[in-house]
Amino acid sequence: MGVMKDLKNLIAGLGITGKHLGRHAITIQYPEQRDTIPERSRGIVVLLSDKETGELNCTACQLCMRACPTGAIVVEFERDENKRKILTKFDLDNTICCFCGLCEESCNFSALKLATKYEFSTTDKDGLLWDMHKLQEVGRDVPYVDTRKKKAEKSEKKPTPKPAPKPADEQPAPKDSSEAPQPADKTPGVGDMPDKPKAAQKPDDPNDGGTDVASDNRDDDTKREGND
Amino acid sequence: MNGFSDFLELHPLFSWLFDLLKSTGLQDPWLHLVHYGALSVMMFGLLALIALFLVWWERKIAGHIQQRFGPMRHGWHGWYQTVMDAIKLLQKEDVKIALRDKPVFFWAPIVCFVAAFCVYVVMPFGENLIVADLNIGILYVLAITTWTVISLLMAGWGSNNKYALLGGMRSAAQIVSYEVPMALSILTPILFVSSLSMNDIVLSQSGPIYNWFIFRLPFGPIAFLTFIVAGTAEANRTPFDIPEAEQELVSGYNVEYSGMKFAMFFLAEFVNMFTIAAVAVTIFFGGWNGFEFLPSWLWFLGKTLLIVLLLMLFRWTYPRLRVDQLMVFAWKFLVPLTFANLIIAGLFKHLGWYW
Repeated sequence: MGVMKDLKNLIAGLGITGKHLGRHAITIQYPEQRDTIPERSRGIVVLLSDKETGELNCTACQLCMRACPTGAIVVEFERDENKRKILTKFDLDNTICCFCGLCEESCNFSALKLATKYEFSTTDKDGLLWDMHKLQEVGRDVPYVDTRKKKAEKSEKKPTPKPAPKPADEQPAPKDSSEAPQPADKTPGVGDMPDKPKAAQKPDDPNDGGTDVASDNRDDDTKREGND
Repeated sequence: MNGFSDFLELHPLFSWLFDLLKSTGLQDPWLHLVHYGALSVMMFGLLALIALFLVWWERKIAGHIQQRFGPMRHGWHGWYQTVMDAIKLLQKEDVKIALRDKPVFFWAPIVCFVAAFCVYVVMPFGENLIVADLNIGILYVLAITTWTVISLLMAGWGSNNKYALLGGMRSAAQIVSYEVPMALSILTPILFVSSLSMNDIVLSQSGPIYNWFIFRLPFGPIAFLTFIVAGTAEANRTPFDIPEAEQELVSGYNVEYSGMKFAMFFLAEFVNMFTIAAVAVTIFFGGWNGFEFLPSWLWFLGKTLLIVLLLMLFRWTYPRLRVDQLMVFAWKFLVPLTFANLIIAGLFKHLGWYW
C-alpha cells in the first residue's frame, strides 16, 4: 500500500540522517588547525633572493609585467654606468592580482614565485600594495629551485651536438633538419615552433631568447608544415 | 540501588520547602499564593534553562548531521553560545515600525511567550513533581497550546506588513487544522486511563514496559505517529514551518520584530517543541516511569530529550511541505486516520481486549 511504502521511505530518510549524526565531523577549526596546502598551490607572489648572496634574482627584464593579465606588476629599472639594469621598482598590487601564475611561468631567472602562503589580510587597502622590499622579505623563507643558467658553467657544459654556432640569418628557417645532427625527432606538429628542437637546449644562441609569451614570432605560422 | 535513586528524588526537597514556608505562619490564601508563585518562578527559571539548552543542542545536532561541528567557541563545544546570543539580542535596537498597530504589536510576543510557559503547570516532571495536578490536565494542555494562534495573528496584523500578515494567517490555519488530529490522537490512550489528569496518565503506565501506550498495538503506535506529526505542525517546525520558513518568507509573522521581542518568539518556539515532546512522553512513553537506578525526573528528561532529538532529525531530514499540501495532509489524511484509530481503540476497550 502506498502509505506503508511512504512510511518506510520516511524512516529510511531518518536513517540516513542518523547515520551522518554518528560520523565524525570533517571540518577543521581554523585558526588552531590548518589544512595541508598542496606544494604547487598558487598563493601570493614573492620575490626570490639568491641563496648565497641574498640579493634579488630579478634582472628587471619586465617579462612578468608583460605577462600579467591584470597589470598588477609594475617593474622599473635604471641603467648604471656599465649599462647594466638595476631594479628600482617592483610593485605588486595584490588587490588585482588574480594568482594565475603567468608571471612565474614567464620568468627565466627564478626571480618570482607564487608561494603557498595565503594569510595576509589587512584592514586597509594600502597594506595590500606591496613594494620590492616587502616582496623580498616575505619571500625569504620560500623554498625554490634555482633554474638560472650560471654564466660560469655555460662554457663547460657543451656536449652539444652542434659543432659550429649557427649563423644569424638562419633563424627564421622553417625546418633546420638539413645538416643538423641534433635530434630530428621533432614532428611538425601544430603549434610547434620550427626553430626550437624539443630535446636539446641551446644555451648560446643569442637570438633564441625569450619564452612563448613575449617573443611570439607570428610570421612563422605560415611557414610551418602541416598547417593548412 | 533503590537508595541511590531515592536519594536523588526531588519531591522531598519541595515538601521540605513547603513545610518551611508553612512554619513562617502565613495565613491560608497568602500561603498558597506565595507557594504557587514561588513554584511558578522556579518553573520559569527551569524552562528558560531548558530553552537555552535546546537552542544549543539544535545547533550541535544540525551541525553533526551536516558533518560539521556547530558552535565551538564559547565554552566547551560552545555550550554557552546561547547565552551570548541572548545578550546580543538584548543589545539590539527595538525597531518599531511607524505605522504599526501599537497595542497589538506590543502584546503579541508576550502572549506567545506566556502561552508557551503556562502549559508547564501540569507537566509531570517526576514522581510528585507537578506544580498543580489538575484533574483536567490534558484538556488544559490542549487549550493553552491553542493560545499561540492568537499571538501569531496579532504578530502578523500588528506588523503592518502584507507578508507578515500572510505568514500569520497561514500559521493560524495550520495550527487550528492540526489541533484536531492532535486532540484525537491524545484521546486514544485516554480511553484506557479514564481520567484526564496527567499524573493518572503516567501512573496507568507504571509497571512493566509493555504497559506504555506506545506498545499497545494496534492503536498505540498509530496514535503516537499521528501525535508526533500533528505536534510538529503545532510547533511550526519543519517540515511544517511555512509560516517561518527562514529561506522563503524571511521569518513570516515575526519578520518585523527585533531584539528582545524576537527573542521571546524564538524561545517560545523551542519551549513549544519541548512541550510536544513532554506530552508525547507523558502519554505514550510512560512519563517518569522507569527502572529504579535513575530518579524519576531524570527518566522524564532523558525520554523527552530523545523525542526532541527525533523532532530535530525531522527538521534536518525532510523537505518543507507547501501550505496546501499541509492542509490536505491534515484534513484528508490525518483526521480520518485518527478517527478510525479512536474507533478501534474504543472497540478494544468495549470488548475488553487491551492489547
